Amino acid sequence: MIKVSNLSKSFAVYHKEPGLMGSLRGLFIRKSSIKYALHDVSLEVHPGEILGLIGANGAGKTTLVKILSGIMHPTSGEVSILGFKPWERSNQYRRQMSLIMGQKSQVWWDLPALDSFLLLKEIYQIDDETYQFNIDYLSKTLGIADHLKTQVRKLSLGERMKVELMAALLHNPKVIFLDEPTIGLDITSQKAVREFLKDYQRKYNPIMILTSHYMEDIKELCSRINIIRKGEMIYDGPLSHIQKLTGDTKHLKVTTKDGELEFTIPRENLAIKTKEIFESHEVIDLNIQDPSIEDIIDQILKHGLQKQ
Amino acid sequence: MKGLASVISMEFRKILAYRSDFWVTFIGQTLIQLIVARSLWQSIFESNQVESMQGFDLNMITLYYLLVPIGTRILAGQNIGFLSREIYDGTFTRYLIYPVNVFVYKSTTYLTHSLFYCFQLFFIYLIYQIIFGGMTFHPEQLFLGVLIFFVASICYMFLCMMVELIALWADNVWTLMVMLKFFVTFFGGGIIPMDFFPLWSQKILALTPFPYLISLPVKTMMGLMPLNESITGIGVLIVWSCIFLGMLQLLWSKGQKSYTGVGI
Ligand SMILES: Nc1ncnc2c1ncn2[C@@H]1O[C@H](COP(=O)(O)OP(=O)(O)OP(=O)(O)O)[C@@H](O)[C@H]1O
Ligand SMILES: [Mg+2]
Repeated sequence: MIKVSNLSKSFAVYHKEPGLMGSLRGLFIRKSSIKYALHDVSLEVHPGEILGLIGANGAGKTTLVKILSGIMHPTSGEVSILGFKPWERSNQYRRQMSLIMGQKSQVWWDLPALDSFLLLKEIYQIDDETYQFNIDYLSKTLGIADHLKTQVRKLSLGERMKVELMAALLHNPKVIFLDEPTIGLDITSQKAVREFLKDYQRKYNPIMILTSHYMEDIKELCSRINIIRKGEMIYDGPLSHIQKLTGDTKHLKVTTKDGELEFTIPRENLAIKTKEIFESHEVIDLNIQDPSIEDIIDQILKHGLQKQ
Repeated sequence: MKGLASVISMEFRKILAYRSDFWVTFIGQTLIQLIVARSLWQSIFESNQVESMQGFDLNMITLYYLLVPIGTRILAGQNIGFLSREIYDGTFTRYLIYPVNVFVYKSTTYLTHSLFYCFQLFFIYLIYQIIFGGMTFHPEQLFLGVLIFFVASICYMFLCMMVELIALWADNVWTLMVMLKFFVTFFGGGIIPMDFFPLWSQKILALTPFPYLISLPVKTMMGLMPLNESITGIGVLIVWSCIFLGMLQLLWSKGQKSYTGVGI
């Protein structure tokens, strides 16, 4: 399992004035300030769980994933994954772990995927039988058997992502980090990747941490979510409970003669507000809804967790 | 062990994936460098009205400039940036995630390239012998020379890795690498044979690794080095390699803490 306690990561940020003079001055004097990308984060993830990390751009999701996968040392705090400290990078830990990044290819560009897989087979010391089984299973479920002999750099983004997934799962990792695995994929491929991950999860029961900006990924895959805002964890719990967080609100959509109006209002004011609207507008249509998950997340990411 | 073998095999496949590129640099660079050097030295010899200088006649000097470019390519193994570019663009994280030692992995790929160029050197030397054949052919010189080049490439590799690792702190180490390459080529006798250097500077340079990287193996191949000096040279290279390796480890133990996986 994954146990993170009081994890922080800060970066020294150097400020450079724009323009040539700024660059020249920067040669001698560098102003810097400390910036926390993660601040006092604690969490636990158990086998069989898929934890979704949600946060705006720059919130610190990738930073967290980098520390958990052992790429980066934290500034302070403790992490224990399957009993290992990730940044010590023991081979034992790394043989059970995998990181998949939607933004960055890990397989070798100049070679067909199968060549990369063969190398990974040696690197991870996968026995012949498991290797063959996994190649067959993964290429079939991902539907990419035809592309394995093409140089990876010649594949489309979606095909490449599937190759990445294959490469990352050949060794049956127990811990899997997925940083925006569906970024840039079309709807069909996104769906395929999601379906695949779900299937994989059922079959092997690994610990997974997933970040994504697509709510669909989170809704479909994650039993639990963590919301990170400016480096701090502000929510940890099931996605379904999130509606309660922002207080009980309703979304009001009104079509009048002059156009459409939209309001988000607390439930207790609903009656008064509708009355007002009917008095002041000529209403053609009125629609009352619970706010969507997307709206709520959007609110939380913008304003934090204070009740509205 | 089997892991290393498959790294080597994959690196060979990568080299072959760009084989046209490979032949162009091989033939192009070698020929151009050879023609320029020969005509230059020819005019030097003529204007001085001598048949030989510092023990080199025109054929010898031609051979020298035939061996140097391939020799430096053996040394240089992979291209400049084999670590720093990957650190810069984030590809480097791969070796932190896979259960491999990044330096073992990188040394293997580097030396695979070196080995490849060693074969080229054999080939070139043999062709020269067939075409010009002026000297009597000494296979033991050829083998010893190539061996020294290979040991030298290990030494130079650790030096390069140190400089490339500076990319953990600075964004651009390309310039440093180009400078390093120039220093090694110049002070190693790759531009002008070391015999043309003033004696005092030869003595000073003998305390540095430079002459052992290029001048020693080339002159060994040409039969201009006493056997014991060649053997001592290998020892010196090994000592320097150990020093560089130690410094490299120190640098990495500091640097990995500040690595932030930029670019991913
Ligand atoms: N190497 C670095 N040096 C300095 N600051 C950094 C570095 N890496 C990240 N940061 C800063 O840390 C913060 C968190 O970055 P991080 O990449 O974790 O965000 P993220 O949540 O993954 O965002 P996104 O959704 O855009 O991928 C950002 O403000 C970023 O500018
Ligand atoms: Mg990110």
